[in-house]
Amino acid sequence: MEFIKIQNITKSFSNHIALEDVSFTINKGAVTGLLGPNGAGKTTLIRILNQITLPDNGQILFNGNPLHRKNIENIGYLPEERGLYKKMKVGEQAIYLARLKGLSEKEAVERLHYWFQKFDIESWWNRRVEELSKGMQQKLQFIVTIIHEPDFLIFDEPFSGFDPVNTNLLKQEILELKKKGATIIISTHNMASVEEICDDIVLIDHAKKILEGKLFDIKQKFKKHLFYIELADFNQDIEEKMPSEFIITQKNKLPKGIGLTLRIPVEMKANEILHYFINQSEIITFNEILPSMNEIFIETVQ
Amino acid sequence: MSKTLLIISREYMTRIKKKSFILMTILGPILIAALIVLPLYISKTSEKEMHILVVDENDYFINKFHDTKKLTFSYLSGDIDDLKKSCIEGKYDAVLHILPGIQSNRSNLYFHEEPSLSLRPNLEEQMDKIIFDKTLIDSFNINPTLFEDIKTNSKAMITSLQIDESGNEQQRFTEINRIIGIICGFLIYMFIFMFASQVLRGVLEEKTNRIVEVLISSVKPMQLMLGKIVGVAMVGLTQFALWVVLTLALLGIIQISSPNFFGGEATSISANANPEAIISSIDSTGMLQETNIMNEINNFYSFSFSTLLFSFIFFFLMGYLLYASLFAAVGSAVDNETDSQQFIMPITIPLLLTIVLIMPMAEDPNGPLAWWLSMIPLTSPIAMLIRIPSGVPLWELITSMTILVLFFFFSAWIAAKIYRTGILMYGKKITYRDLFKWIRYS
Repeated sequence: MEFIKIQNITKSFSNHIALEDVSFTINKGAVTGLLGPNGAGKTTLIRILNQITLPDNGQILFNGNPLHRKNIENIGYLPEERGLYKKMKVGEQAIYLARLKGLSEKEAVERLHYWFQKFDIESWWNRRVEELSKGMQQKLQFIVTIIHEPDFLIFDEPFSGFDPVNTNLLKQEILELKKKGATIIISTHNMASVEEICDDIVLIDHAKKILEGKLFDIKQKFKKHLFYIELADFNQDIEEKMPSEFIITQKNKLPKGIGLTLRIPVEMKANEILHYFINQSEIITFNEILPSMNEIFIETVQ
Repeated sequence: MSKTLLIISREYMTRIKKKSFILMTILGPILIAALIVLPLYISKTSEKEMHILVVDENDYFINKFHDTKKLTFSYLSGDIDDLKKSCIEGKYDAVLHILPGIQSNRSNLYFHEEPSLSLRPNLEEQMDKIIFDKTLIDSFNINPTLFEDIKTNSKAMITSLQIDESGNEQQRFTEINRIIGIICGFLIYMFIFMFASQVLRGVLEEKTNRIVEVLISSVKPMQLMLGKIVGVAMVGLTQFALWVVLTLALLGIIQISSPNFFGGEATSISANANPEAIISSIDSTGMLQETNIMNEINNFYSFSFSTLLFSFIFFFLMGYLLYASLFAAVGSAVDNETDSQQFIMPITIPLLLTIVLIMPMAEDPNGPLAWWLSMIPLTSPIAMLIRIPSGVPLWELITSMTILVLFFFFSAWIAAKIYRTGILMYGKKITYRDLFKWIRYS
């Protein structure tokens, strides 16, 4: 179901065009990955979604209605360039930021205590932000982004600066939020995490949208009909008798047996590979090689 | 609570809780009180009562020195070597030995404890007068009593009276007015600069901290800028109010703990401020009428104190708002405080210029220089405050205030445009051309 519809957004600055006629939809309850090389226009798009900047042209529908100032309270935004008041106390600052998002002081305190306990940073309540480690500050930043329980969350490079443990924690929390029904958009260069948590993908390059769809569909679309098969024995004979449609693109000698990467014609089914090798040798592993998001990214952007 | 109010209260509370604010609030009144009290205290203690023995070899000055509260004279003749020892014994504080021969005017002053700096010039002046008078009387054979009469009756005294539109006359103490004007002008300058810089640093802090993007996804940039400017203004007013209250309290405590300090010496405050006026009135009447002068000073205050206070608050607020909005724009456009200098300089030149010209303006508060500077919005907060104690026609005051308010709206409009674009610009050295582009663009 459509939650946000971005329609023909164009935005230009005095010396360059940041977005040119960009349209796509963000599905309700899904995690959408907003991808694109540096300077493609992602941050501008995110700022337009946050109503920090206004588009020159086009409009955004939020849950069916044009995006309105009051929607700010339905949006949680974790910017790429983020920070906190260094001299302010942690609790005080979190309350302030929560209240700016429209929570009452009482609500803010209650919810913050819940999250502080969950993230095990309760003891930091009365410390100054500058005394916190970077990871702690990131956690605090995450909490204040989601404290007002928004329907729509925007994470701009959420994993930068996190250690693997905290990255994992963050991923779990993002998936948790998704489970609770939040719609999430993540802008990141970390393709591995895109594959892990994103349902949908939007790719922007040079101010234009060049790719949109479900992660699964996109992978299918970009697949090269490559298969990987690991065999216990392999000899010249097997290779020579192999059907001519099979093309070996890579051959890896393994401690026991061999790993082959095969390309087959589009119309051919995977079963035919198995069908041939099953009589020739013991099959240890067989799987289709789908392109990684990293490869798709590089291929599309080039 | 509206979000702007929330921002204002954060700006206010974090600043009020700062150590530097508390320190300034405590030190300020102590400094001001010290500035008022110390000169008095020093003049009181340094001029202790002096008893001076005059040994005149010519019998020329006997009983001629003028006794005052602080200075009494005794006259003896005898061997100077014996007599001068009396200052070691403490019988006299000093021994003035006038050597034979009046024309040579040679004398020695013996003392054990060093006397105040003013003693020697004081004695010399008295001796000069005595010689001058006696020479006149002797050479023209004037009757000494007639001579004294002539002297007392030939003193001139000028009273400054200002006539307002309705023809009421008001005695003015121009020197006091000037000093009050200078102090007010300087205070305004200090306050504007101090608090406008706080706005600049606050904006810069939010920008370099990168918290600004989080904030403006919740509130409009305009609310953020306005909240900061108003919050800091309230800090300024709080500090000012605390200073006034604490200074008065401190002076009150001093008065209670030593009742004579101001009571008996009330005139010394005015004497410090306006020595000539006091001295001339002492001379002319031969007797100091303390109560009269205090009344006149009170009259002066009751006449324009409220105007002065109102104007001070108005010009501080408006001047601050004007400069703070411009400073906020600069803070949003640059990445660090060093870069801000090139934009701050042109903005503050009018302020600095007014401070440099403070003396000429105080000299002639209604002259063209002071008049024009009190109308130009970037300089009027200081210049007008210099003029107000000397009396400014109401229409001029209103004109100046109107110009200032209008100019503030204009500068705030420009500042908002720069601010909106500036706070999201990172890592780019901003030039004046960029600023103009932002103003035109948005």
